[in-house]
Amino acid sequence: MPPGVPSSGGAPGPACHAPSRVASTAVRSDAPSRPSGLHRLHPLTKLALFFVAVVAGATLPTTPLVLGVFVLLLLPLAIWGGCTGPFLRTCAKITTPFLLSLVLIQGFFTRGPTVLFSLGPFHYTLEGLQVALLFTARLLTGLGGATLLMMVTRPDALMRSLSERGLPNQIAYIVVTALQILPTFQARAQAILDAQRSRGLETEGSLPTRLRSLAPLVAPLIMSSLMEIEERAIALEARAFSRPGTRTSLVRLSDTRLQSVVRGLLLAVAAALIVVRLLSLLRP
Amino acid sequence: MEGLKRDFNTVTLVMIPVAIAINIAVGQLALAVKIPLYLDSIGTVLVGVLAGPWAGALTGFLSSLIWTLTGLYTPAIAFAGVAAIIGALAGVFGRAGWAGVWWKAILAGLLTGLVAAILSAPVATYVFGGVMGSGTDAIVALARSVGLDALGANIAQGSFSDPIDKTVTYLVIFLVLRALPQRFLARFSNLPGRST
Repeated sequence: MPPGVPSSGGAPGPACHAPSRVASTAVRSDAPSRPSGLHRLHPLTKLALFFVAVVAGATLPTTPLVLGVFVLLLLPLAIWGGCTGPFLRTCAKITTPFLLSLVLIQGFFTRGPTVLFSLGPFHYTLEGLQVALLFTARLLTGLGGATLLMMVTRPDALMRSLSERGLPNQIAYIVVTALQILPTFQARAQAILDAQRSRGLETEGSLPTRLRSLAPLVAPLIMSSLMEIEERAIALEARAFSRPGTRTSLVRLSDTRLQSVVRGLLLAVAAALIVVRLLSLLRP
Repeated sequence: MEGLKRDFNTVTLVMIPVAIAINIAVGQLALAVKIPLYLDSIGTVLVGVLAGPWAGALTGFLSSLIWTLTGLYTPAIAFAGVAAIIGALAGVFGRAGWAGVWWKAILAGLLTGLVAAILSAPVATYVFGGVMGSGTDAIVALARSVGLDALGANIAQGSFSDPIDKTVTYLVIFLVLRALPQRFLARFSNLPGRST
Protein backbone atom coordinates (compact mmCIF):
# COMPACT_ATOMS: atom_id res chain seq x y z
CA MET A 1 0.00 0.00 0.00
CA PRO A 2 1.46 3.38 -0.93
CA PRO A 3 1.98 5.66 2.06
CA GLY A 4 -0.19 8.64 2.60
CA VAL A 5 -3.24 7.55 0.70
CA PRO A 6 -5.97 9.14 2.80
CA SER A 7 -8.91 6.90 3.45
CA SER A 8 -11.42 7.92 0.85
CA GLY A 9 -15.10 8.49 1.31
CA GLY A 10 -16.08 9.53 4.80
CA ALA A 11 -19.64 8.42 4.23
CA PRO A 12 -20.66 6.21 7.14
CA GLY A 13 -21.51 2.59 6.90
CA PRO A 14 -20.20 1.00 3.70
CA ALA A 15 -21.32 -2.62 3.83
CA CYS A 16 -17.75 -3.79 4.08
CA HIS A 17 -14.77 -1.59 4.60
CA ALA A 18 -11.18 -2.43 3.92
CA PRO A 19 -9.58 -2.73 7.37
CA SER A 20 -7.32 0.27 6.76
CA ARG A 21 -10.34 2.52 6.34
CA VAL A 22 -11.70 1.79 9.77
CA ALA A 23 -9.56 4.53 11.21
CA SER A 24 -11.82 7.38 10.24
CA THR A 25 -15.04 6.06 11.73
CA ALA A 26 -16.48 8.55 14.13
CA VAL A 27 -17.47 7.47 17.61
CA ARG A 28 -21.23 7.20 17.22
CA SER A 29 -23.66 4.71 18.64
CA ASP A 30 -26.42 5.41 16.17
CA ALA A 31 -24.55 4.70 12.95
CA PRO A 32 -27.28 4.75 10.31
CA SER A 33 -26.43 1.59 8.43
CA ARG A 34 -25.89 -1.73 10.14
CA PRO A 35 -25.39 -3.87 7.08
CA SER A 36 -25.43 -7.49 8.21
CA GLY A 37 -26.22 -9.78 11.10
CA LEU A 38 -22.51 -10.45 11.47
CA HIS A 39 -21.81 -6.72 11.79
CA ARG A 40 -24.48 -6.46 14.48
CA LEU A 41 -23.05 -9.19 16.71
CA HIS A 42 -21.49 -8.12 19.98
CA PRO A 43 -17.76 -7.42 19.40
CA LEU A 44 -16.75 -10.04 21.96
CA THR A 45 -18.75 -12.69 20.09
CA LYS A 46 -16.82 -11.88 16.93
CA LEU A 47 -13.57 -11.84 18.89
CA ALA A 48 -14.40 -15.33 20.23
CA LEU A 49 -15.13 -16.59 16.69
CA PHE A 50 -11.82 -15.21 15.48
CA PHE A 51 -10.01 -16.69 18.49
CA VAL A 52 -11.40 -20.17 17.77
CA ALA A 53 -10.34 -19.87 14.11
CA VAL A 54 -6.78 -18.95 15.11
CA VAL A 55 -6.54 -21.70 17.73
CA ALA A 56 -7.93 -24.29 15.30
CA GLY A 57 -5.53 -23.10 12.60
CA ALA A 58 -2.60 -23.42 14.98
CA THR A 59 -3.51 -26.74 16.63
CA LEU A 60 -5.18 -28.98 14.03
CA PRO A 61 -2.54 -31.39 12.73
CA THR A 62 -3.19 -31.74 8.96
CA THR A 63 -3.56 -29.38 6.02
CA PRO A 64 -7.11 -30.51 5.04
CA LEU A 65 -8.38 -29.99 8.61
CA VAL A 66 -6.86 -26.50 8.82
CA LEU A 67 -8.24 -25.58 5.38
CA GLY A 68 -11.58 -26.98 6.59
CA VAL A 69 -11.68 -24.32 9.30
CA PHE A 70 -11.19 -21.65 6.63
CA VAL A 71 -13.80 -23.05 4.27
CA LEU A 72 -16.41 -24.13 6.85
CA LEU A 73 -16.06 -21.33 9.43
CA LEU A 74 -14.43 -18.19 8.01
CA LEU A 75 -15.84 -18.34 4.50
CA PRO A 76 -19.51 -18.73 5.59
CA LEU A 77 -18.98 -15.88 8.07
CA ALA A 78 -17.61 -13.69 5.26
CA ILE A 79 -20.62 -14.57 3.09
CA TRP A 80 -22.94 -13.75 6.00
CA GLY A 81 -21.15 -10.42 6.46
CA GLY A 82 -21.51 -9.69 2.73
CA CYS A 83 -17.80 -9.14 2.16
CA THR A 84 -16.70 -12.36 0.46
CA GLY A 85 -14.90 -10.60 -2.41
CA PRO A 86 -12.77 -8.16 -0.41
CA PHE A 87 -12.10 -10.85 2.21
CA LEU A 88 -10.78 -13.39 -0.30
CA ARG A 89 -8.73 -10.75 -2.16
CA THR A 90 -7.09 -9.60 1.09
CA CYS A 91 -6.37 -13.19 2.14
CA ALA A 92 -4.74 -13.90 -1.23
CA LYS A 93 -2.66 -10.72 -1.02
CA ILE A 94 -1.40 -11.52 2.48
CA THR A 95 -0.76 -15.23 2.00
CA THR A 96 0.79 -15.38 -1.48
CA PRO A 97 4.28 -14.07 -0.53
CA PHE A 98 4.43 -16.58 2.33
CA LEU A 99 3.30 -19.39 0.02
CA LEU A 100 6.03 -18.60 -2.52
CA SER A 101 8.83 -18.39 0.06
CA LEU A 102 7.61 -21.45 1.97
CA VAL A 103 7.30 -23.65 -1.12
CA LEU A 104 10.87 -22.75 -2.13
CA ILE A 105 12.64 -22.77 1.23
CA GLN A 106 10.83 -25.60 3.02
CA GLY A 107 10.79 -27.71 -0.15
CA PHE A 108 14.54 -27.54 -0.64
CA PHE A 109 15.68 -27.61 2.97
CA THR A 110 13.32 -30.09 4.66
CA ARG A 111 14.94 -33.51 4.67
CA GLY A 112 12.81 -36.47 3.67
CA PRO A 113 12.95 -39.74 1.78
CA THR A 114 10.80 -38.66 -1.19
CA VAL A 115 12.90 -36.52 -3.53
CA LEU A 116 10.77 -34.92 -6.23
CA PHE A 117 13.64 -33.34 -8.17
CA SER A 118 17.17 -32.10 -7.60
CA LEU A 119 18.90 -28.85 -8.43
CA GLY A 120 22.66 -29.24 -8.13
CA PRO A 121 23.37 -30.29 -4.53
CA PHE A 122 19.81 -29.44 -3.36
CA HIS A 123 16.99 -31.95 -3.29
CA TYR A 124 13.35 -30.89 -3.37
CA THR A 125 11.33 -33.23 -1.13
CA LEU A 126 7.64 -34.05 -1.02
CA GLU A 127 7.82 -33.75 2.77
CA GLY A 128 9.09 -30.17 2.43
CA LEU A 129 6.24 -29.30 0.09
CA GLN A 130 3.77 -30.76 2.61
CA VAL A 131 5.29 -28.69 5.44
CA ALA A 132 5.05 -25.58 3.25
CA LEU A 133 1.39 -26.20 2.47
CA LEU A 134 0.54 -26.87 6.13
CA PHE A 135 2.18 -23.60 7.23
CA THR A 136 0.42 -21.69 4.44
CA ALA A 137 -2.93 -23.16 5.49
CA ARG A 138 -2.26 -22.18 9.14
CA LEU A 139 -1.33 -18.63 8.11
CA LEU A 140 -4.36 -18.38 5.81
CA THR A 141 -6.67 -19.35 8.67
CA GLY A 142 -5.01 -17.22 11.35
CA LEU A 143 -4.41 -14.07 9.30
CA GLY A 144 -7.73 -14.55 7.50
CA GLY A 145 -9.52 -14.65 10.85
CA ALA A 146 -7.86 -11.38 11.91
CA THR A 147 -8.71 -9.77 8.56
CA LEU A 148 -12.36 -10.78 8.75
CA LEU A 149 -12.68 -9.62 12.36
CA MET A 150 -11.47 -6.15 11.41
CA MET A 151 -13.68 -6.01 8.31
CA VAL A 152 -16.87 -6.50 10.30
CA THR A 153 -16.00 -4.86 13.64
CA ARG A 154 -15.56 -1.19 14.46
CA PRO A 155 -12.42 -0.72 16.56
CA ASP A 156 -14.15 1.73 18.90
CA ALA A 157 -16.88 -0.83 19.62
CA LEU A 158 -14.28 -3.55 20.14
CA MET A 159 -12.29 -1.43 22.58
CA ARG A 160 -15.49 -0.41 24.36
CA SER A 161 -16.47 -4.04 24.85
CA LEU A 162 -13.03 -4.77 26.31
CA SER A 163 -13.21 -1.69 28.58
CA GLU A 164 -16.50 -2.98 29.95
CA ARG A 165 -14.67 -6.17 30.91
CA GLY A 166 -11.95 -4.34 32.82
CA LEU A 167 -9.43 -3.18 30.21
CA PRO A 168 -8.11 0.20 31.42
CA ASN A 169 -9.74 3.14 29.63
CA GLN A 170 -6.30 4.53 28.83
CA ILE A 171 -5.50 1.52 26.63
CA ALA A 172 -8.77 1.99 24.73
CA TYR A 173 -7.93 5.70 24.35
CA ILE A 174 -4.49 4.88 22.91
CA VAL A 175 -5.78 2.35 20.36
CA VAL A 176 -8.73 4.41 19.15
CA THR A 177 -6.69 7.63 18.97
CA ALA A 178 -3.84 5.93 17.10
CA LEU A 179 -6.31 4.61 14.52
CA GLN A 180 -7.90 8.03 14.15
CA ILE A 181 -4.71 10.08 13.70
CA LEU A 182 -2.97 7.59 11.44
CA PRO A 183 -4.53 8.84 8.15
CA THR A 184 -3.46 12.41 9.05
CA PHE A 185 0.07 11.20 9.68
CA GLN A 186 0.25 9.29 6.43
CA ALA A 187 -1.00 12.35 4.58
CA ARG A 188 1.60 14.49 6.37
CA ALA A 189 4.40 12.04 5.48
CA GLN A 190 3.32 12.18 1.84
CA ALA A 191 3.19 15.99 1.94
CA ILE A 192 6.74 16.14 3.36
CA LEU A 193 7.94 13.69 0.71
CA ASP A 194 6.39 15.83 -2.06
CA ALA A 195 7.67 19.08 -0.55
CA GLN A 196 11.27 17.88 -0.25
CA ARG A 197 11.22 16.36 -3.73
CA SER A 198 10.00 19.63 -5.18
CA ARG A 199 12.99 21.31 -3.50
CA GLY A 200 15.27 18.91 -5.37
CA LEU A 201 15.77 16.19 -2.74
CA GLU A 202 16.95 13.03 -4.47
CA THR A 203 14.88 10.10 -3.26
CA GLU A 204 15.91 7.81 -6.07
CA GLY A 205 19.26 6.54 -7.23
CA SER A 206 22.00 4.75 -5.33
CA LEU A 207 21.53 3.41 -1.82
CA PRO A 208 23.70 6.10 -0.13
CA THR A 209 21.66 8.78 -1.92
CA ARG A 210 18.42 7.29 -0.69
CA LEU A 211 19.80 6.89 2.84
CA ARG A 212 20.84 10.55 2.86
CA SER A 213 17.34 11.53 1.76
CA LEU A 214 15.90 9.98 4.91
CA ALA A 215 16.92 12.71 7.38
CA PRO A 216 15.07 15.61 5.67
CA LEU A 217 12.00 13.37 5.49
CA VAL A 218 11.93 11.85 8.96
CA ALA A 219 13.02 14.87 11.00
CA PRO A 220 10.12 17.22 10.10
CA LEU A 221 7.59 14.44 10.58
CA ILE A 222 8.79 13.54 14.08
CA MET A 223 9.40 17.08 15.32
CA SER A 224 6.12 18.52 14.07
CA SER A 225 4.10 15.69 15.60
CA LEU A 226 5.86 15.86 18.96
CA MET A 227 5.18 19.59 19.20
CA GLU A 228 1.43 18.92 19.18
CA ILE A 229 1.55 16.60 22.14
CA GLU A 230 1.67 19.24 24.86
CA GLU A 231 -1.39 21.08 23.60
CA ARG A 232 -3.32 17.86 23.29
CA ALA A 233 -2.37 16.84 26.85
CA ILE A 234 -3.52 20.20 28.24
CA ALA A 235 -6.79 19.95 26.31
CA LEU A 236 -7.46 16.48 27.72
CA GLU A 237 -6.57 17.48 31.27
CA ALA A 238 -8.98 20.40 31.00
CA ARG A 239 -11.65 17.75 30.31
CA ALA A 240 -10.78 15.67 33.40
CA PHE A 241 -8.97 12.96 31.43
CA SER A 242 -7.16 11.47 34.42
CA ARG A 243 -10.11 11.67 36.82
CA PRO A 244 -10.63 8.31 38.53
CA GLY A 245 -14.02 6.59 38.53
CA THR A 246 -16.52 5.30 36.01
CA ARG A 247 -17.28 6.97 32.67
CA THR A 248 -20.24 6.95 30.37
CA SER A 249 -19.59 6.08 26.76
CA LEU A 250 -21.17 7.23 23.54
CA VAL A 251 -20.74 3.73 22.14
CA ARG A 252 -23.63 1.48 23.14
CA LEU A 253 -23.33 -2.24 22.63
CA SER A 254 -26.20 -4.68 22.48
CA ASP A 255 -25.68 -8.17 23.83
CA THR A 256 -28.01 -11.16 24.05
CA ARG A 257 -28.20 -14.17 26.31
CA LEU A 258 -27.72 -16.45 23.29
CA GLN A 259 -24.50 -14.70 22.29
CA SER A 260 -23.09 -15.02 25.76
CA VAL A 261 -23.80 -18.79 25.69
CA VAL A 262 -22.21 -19.07 22.23
CA ARG A 263 -19.13 -17.23 23.48
CA GLY A 264 -18.79 -19.69 26.34
CA LEU A 265 -19.07 -22.62 23.95
CA LEU A 266 -16.51 -21.14 21.55
CA LEU A 267 -14.00 -20.65 24.36
CA ALA A 268 -14.64 -24.25 25.49
CA VAL A 269 -13.95 -25.48 21.94
CA ALA A 270 -10.70 -23.48 21.84
CA ALA A 271 -9.61 -24.90 25.21
CA ALA A 272 -10.46 -28.44 24.06
CA LEU A 273 -8.42 -27.99 20.85
CA ILE A 274 -5.42 -26.84 22.86
CA VAL A 275 -5.71 -29.74 25.33
CA VAL A 276 -6.00 -32.32 22.52
CA ARG A 277 -2.97 -30.82 20.81
CA LEU A 278 -0.88 -30.85 23.99
CA LEU A 279 -1.86 -34.47 24.71
CA SER A 280 -0.85 -35.54 21.20
CA LEU A 281 2.50 -33.77 21.61
CA LEU A 282 3.17 -35.56 24.92
CA ARG A 283 2.31 -38.95 23.50
CA PRO A 284 5.12 -39.77 21.07
CA MET B 1 3.52 -0.64 40.56
CA GLU B 2 5.06 2.68 41.56
CA GLY B 3 7.15 2.56 38.39
CA LEU B 4 3.98 1.93 36.39
CA LYS B 5 2.25 5.00 37.79
CA ARG B 6 5.25 7.24 37.29
CA ASP B 7 5.56 6.13 33.66
CA PHE B 8 2.00 6.99 32.72
CA ASN B 9 1.25 10.69 33.17
CA THR B 10 -1.11 12.42 30.74
CA VAL B 11 1.66 13.67 28.44
CA THR B 12 2.91 10.09 28.07
CA LEU B 13 -0.57 8.74 27.37
CA VAL B 14 -1.01 11.39 24.69
CA MET B 15 2.41 10.69 23.21
CA ILE B 16 1.85 6.92 22.81
CA PRO B 17 -0.73 7.11 19.98
CA VAL B 18 1.43 9.75 18.26
CA ALA B 19 4.45 7.45 18.64
CA ILE B 20 2.47 4.58 17.11
CA ALA B 21 1.55 6.78 14.16
CA ILE B 22 5.24 7.79 13.83
CA ASN B 23 6.24 4.09 13.78
CA ILE B 24 3.88 3.42 10.91
CA ALA B 25 4.38 6.64 8.92
CA VAL B 26 8.20 6.45 9.10
CA GLY B 27 8.09 2.74 8.30
CA GLN B 28 6.15 3.59 5.18
CA LEU B 29 8.54 6.46 4.29
CA ALA B 30 11.40 3.93 4.43
CA LEU B 31 9.40 1.78 2.02
CA ALA B 32 8.67 4.76 -0.24
CA VAL B 33 12.35 5.61 -0.73
CA LYS B 34 13.17 1.86 -0.96
CA ILE B 35 15.64 1.58 1.91
CA PRO B 36 16.42 -1.93 3.15
CA LEU B 37 15.59 -0.99 6.75
CA TYR B 38 12.30 -1.38 8.63
CA LEU B 39 12.53 1.82 10.74
CA ASP B 40 9.25 0.83 12.33
CA SER B 41 10.19 1.32 15.97
CA ILE B 42 11.36 4.95 16.18
CA GLY B 43 8.23 5.96 18.12
CA THR B 44 8.49 2.95 20.44
CA VAL B 45 12.12 3.70 21.32
CA LEU B 46 11.33 7.39 21.78
CA VAL B 47 8.56 6.68 24.31
CA GLY B 48 10.76 4.15 26.11
CA VAL B 49 13.68 6.56 26.36
CA LEU B 50 11.54 9.49 27.55
CA ALA B 51 8.87 7.80 29.67
CA GLY B 52 10.41 4.55 30.89
CA PRO B 53 10.29 0.80 30.29
CA TRP B 54 6.58 0.23 31.00
CA ALA B 55 5.45 2.95 28.63
CA GLY B 56 7.93 1.75 26.00
CA ALA B 57 6.72 -1.83 26.28
CA LEU B 58 3.08 -0.78 26.00
CA THR B 59 3.87 1.34 22.92
CA GLY B 60 5.63 -1.56 21.22
CA PHE B 61 2.83 -3.99 21.99
CA LEU B 62 -0.01 -1.70 20.89
CA SER B 63 1.95 -0.63 17.81
CA SER B 64 2.00 -4.23 16.59
CA LEU B 65 -1.71 -4.47 17.36
CA ILE B 66 -2.39 -1.36 15.24
CA TRP B 67 -0.34 -2.69 12.30
CA THR B 68 -2.66 -5.70 12.40
CA LEU B 69 -5.91 -3.78 13.03
CA THR B 70 -5.34 -1.43 10.10
CA GLY B 71 -4.56 -4.36 7.78
CA LEU B 72 -1.34 -2.59 6.72
CA TYR B 73 0.71 -5.56 7.94
CA THR B 74 -1.46 -8.32 9.41
CA PRO B 75 1.34 -10.63 10.67
CA ALA B 76 2.65 -7.90 13.01
CA ILE B 77 0.62 -9.08 16.00
CA ALA B 78 2.76 -12.22 16.23
CA PHE B 79 5.76 -10.00 17.00
CA ALA B 80 4.00 -7.90 19.65
CA GLY B 81 6.09 -9.49 22.42
CA VAL B 82 9.35 -8.64 20.66
CA ALA B 83 8.19 -5.07 20.06
CA ALA B 84 7.29 -4.75 23.75
CA ILE B 85 10.78 -5.86 24.79
CA ILE B 86 12.37 -3.39 22.34
CA GLY B 87 10.35 -0.64 24.08
CA ALA B 88 11.26 -1.87 27.56
CA LEU B 89 14.96 -2.00 26.64
CA ALA B 90 14.70 1.58 25.36
CA GLY B 91 13.42 2.56 28.80
CA VAL B 92 16.43 0.93 30.44
CA PHE B 93 18.92 2.50 28.02
CA GLY B 94 17.18 5.86 28.39
CA ARG B 95 17.36 5.77 32.18
CA ALA B 96 21.07 4.90 31.95
CA GLY B 97 21.59 7.95 29.73
CA TRP B 98 22.79 5.97 26.72
CA ALA B 99 20.47 7.64 24.21
CA GLY B 100 22.13 11.04 24.63
CA VAL B 101 25.73 10.01 23.82
CA TRP B 102 26.32 9.06 20.21
CA TRP B 103 28.57 6.03 20.72
CA LYS B 104 26.42 4.70 23.56
CA ALA B 105 23.37 5.15 21.34
CA ILE B 106 25.07 3.00 18.69
CA LEU B 107 25.87 0.37 21.33
CA ALA B 108 22.26 0.43 22.57
CA GLY B 109 21.06 -0.03 18.98
CA LEU B 110 23.38 -2.99 18.35
CA LEU B 111 22.35 -4.70 21.61
CA THR B 112 18.65 -4.09 20.96
CA GLY B 113 19.09 -5.49 17.45
CA LEU B 114 20.71 -8.68 18.72
CA VAL B 115 18.00 -9.22 21.36
CA ALA B 116 15.30 -8.55 18.74
CA ALA B 117 16.94 -11.04 16.34
CA ILE B 118 17.14 -13.79 18.94
CA LEU B 119 13.56 -13.24 20.14
CA SER B 120 11.93 -12.92 16.70
CA ALA B 121 13.63 -16.02 15.27
CA PRO B 122 11.44 -18.55 17.15
CA VAL B 123 8.31 -16.63 16.12
CA ALA B 124 9.39 -16.56 12.48
CA THR B 125 10.34 -20.24 12.60
CA TYR B 126 7.43 -21.80 14.46
CA VAL B 127 4.59 -19.44 13.51
CA PHE B 128 5.53 -18.54 9.94
CA GLY B 129 7.52 -21.61 8.90
CA GLY B 130 10.79 -19.71 8.76
CA VAL B 131 9.90 -17.12 6.12
CA MET B 132 8.44 -13.62 6.16
CA GLY B 133 7.41 -13.43 2.51
CA SER B 134 9.81 -10.54 1.86
CA GLY B 135 13.30 -9.87 0.54
CA THR B 136 14.95 -11.03 3.77
CA ASP B 137 13.91 -14.60 2.88
CA ALA B 138 16.88 -14.65 0.49
CA ILE B 139 19.20 -14.38 3.52
CA VAL B 140 17.31 -17.23 5.23
CA ALA B 141 17.74 -19.40 2.12
CA LEU B 142 21.45 -18.55 1.97
CA ALA B 143 21.93 -19.45 5.65
CA ARG B 144 20.09 -22.75 5.22
CA SER B 145 22.10 -23.65 2.13
CA VAL B 146 25.30 -23.54 4.20
CA GLY B 147 23.78 -26.02 6.62
CA LEU B 148 21.99 -24.04 9.36
CA ASP B 149 18.67 -25.42 10.60
CA ALA B 150 15.43 -23.39 10.40
CA LEU B 151 15.87 -21.63 13.76
CA GLY B 152 19.57 -20.98 13.18
CA ALA B 153 18.90 -19.53 9.73
CA ASN B 154 16.30 -17.13 11.15
CA ILE B 155 18.64 -16.03 13.95
CA ALA B 156 21.33 -15.45 11.30
CA GLN B 157 18.94 -13.41 9.15
CA GLY B 158 17.84 -11.32 12.15
CA SER B 159 21.40 -10.79 13.36
CA PHE B 160 22.21 -9.38 9.94
CA SER B 161 19.18 -7.06 9.54
CA ASP B 162 18.10 -6.04 13.05
CA PRO B 163 21.28 -4.51 14.57
CA ILE B 164 21.70 -2.19 11.54
CA ASP B 165 18.04 -1.19 11.71
CA LYS B 166 18.03 -0.56 15.47
CA THR B 167 21.34 1.34 15.34
CA VAL B 168 19.91 3.75 12.77
CA THR B 169 16.79 4.02 14.97
CA TYR B 170 18.85 4.96 18.06
CA LEU B 171 20.90 7.47 16.06
CA VAL B 172 17.64 9.12 14.94
CA ILE B 173 16.53 9.23 18.61
CA PHE B 174 19.92 10.74 19.58
CA LEU B 175 19.37 13.54 17.04
CA VAL B 176 15.72 14.04 18.06
CA LEU B 177 16.71 14.39 21.74
CA ARG B 178 19.19 17.13 20.80
CA ALA B 179 16.61 18.96 18.73
CA LEU B 180 13.73 18.81 21.24
CA PRO B 181 13.33 21.88 23.47
CA GLN B 182 14.19 21.51 27.16
CA ARG B 183 10.65 22.58 28.04
CA PHE B 184 9.34 19.44 26.35
CA LEU B 185 11.98 17.10 27.78
CA ALA B 186 11.28 18.40 31.30
CA ARG B 187 7.86 16.76 31.11
CA PHE B 188 9.45 13.32 31.37
CA SER B 189 11.25 11.73 34.30
CA ASN B 190 13.05 8.77 32.72
CA LEU B 191 16.14 10.57 31.42
CA PRO B 192 19.02 10.77 33.93
CA GLY B 193 19.12 13.86 36.09
CA ARG B 194 15.37 14.25 35.82
CA SER B 195 14.12 11.68 38.32
CA THR B 196 11.62 13.34 40.57
